[in-house]
Amino acid sequence: MGLAEPVHFTINGHKLPFDDFKGGTGAGETFEGEFEIRSFAHSLTLVGPESGSWKIRKIHVDYDCENTPPYSATFGEVALDETTEVNIWQDPPLPTWDV
Amino acid sequence: MTSILKTLSALFSDSKSEINMPSAKPAEENNMPSTNQEPVSSTAEEPTAENFSEPPAQRRIIQAPVLVESLGEGQASEKVFIKAEPAENGDQCKLMVNRSLFAGYSWFFKDFESAAGSPLAEKIFSSDLVDTLLIHNSTAIVTKFGGKMQGDWLPLAKELGQIIREVLESGSPLLSDDIIKNLPPEEQVRKDIQKVIDTEVNPGVAAHGGKIVLTSVTGNSVTIQMGGGCQGCSAADLTLKQGIHSSFRKAVPYVGAIYDETDHAAGMNPYYS
Repeated sequence: MGLAEPVHFTINGHKLPFDDFKGGTGAGETFEGEFEIRSFAHSLTLVGPESGSWKIRKIHVDYDCENTPPYSATFGEVALDETTEVNIWQDPPLPTWDV
Repeated sequence: MTSILKTLSALFSDSKSEINMPSAKPAEENNMPSTNQEPVSSTAEEPTAENFSEPPAQRRIIQAPVLVESLGEGQASEKVFIKAEPAENGDQCKLMVNRSLFAGYSWFFKDFESAAGSPLAEKIFSSDLVDTLLIHNSTAIVTKFGGKMQGDWLPLAKELGQIIREVLESGSPLLSDDIIKNLPPEEQVRKDIQKVIDTEVNPGVAAHGGKIVLTSVTGNSVTIQMGGGCQGCSAADLTLKQGIHSSFRKAVPYVGAIYDETDHAAGMNPYYS
């Protein structure tokens, strides 16, 4: 197992590989990667494989944005192939009150 | 603003052996943009119309379900636990309850009169500030008259939280029997909403190059996508709330929640970009 080439994501339609990735995209494996972006994020997606398909059980994203406390989002099961990418952007959580 | 995607981890299923490793073929073969391409040298071929005749292949962006843990520890509490979440623009407030209010279905109360016979809605409309009420699964989404800042919601949210708690703890029915008995099957909802889209909504937005697609129906709740000129248009929210919502509710009075799953920043030609 292992990666033949970097897993890519897109920010605002611009495609980039992850930095400092570990793990893999083989069956039962967990892939982890990160990237520092110096721009506004209007859209953020995880790009599917160049060929074949990935059946992803769960995607967990930690965001650390300026002027916003760090937050996380977890996305559920999704299948990706060479024609698809999946949204991984989630707006910061809104303030909530216990009422 | 510096935006940092700190870490991403994706867990790949081992339930099927259909996972293939990404091929090592160059991105150009797939018509995909790549950051690994060699920089174009100054002696590169001059651009011609032919060079640009094939735009990069556009992938379809799909939406994975967001796993929400919004109520935290309160979710499993025996006590009625309610969180209020005002929208960013303050135009509505979502009250999330650790109890079902209308499992699998939704209902829109447009005013006080429409709440008649539904104890929960009647009590919520007893506040003069409440304009409309949407109940869906375990949430109540309220719009109000008056101030629209997020902070303006706190006094009303507290009052509504108390009302919901009292009605739930009283054990009385929440909605009228008429509503529950007359809910149509999903196929009827789909057919009726599609008819409104085909005969009223799409002919209207087509003048601006727009198109509305019904993507799913769950119970009497519908999800749409806005495409063409609607995608990313600065007036999309207005079109949705004053145009599409009104048309749907007028022609199909039993439609409940109406969700828009459009990614307004994506696509081949979003108006926004």
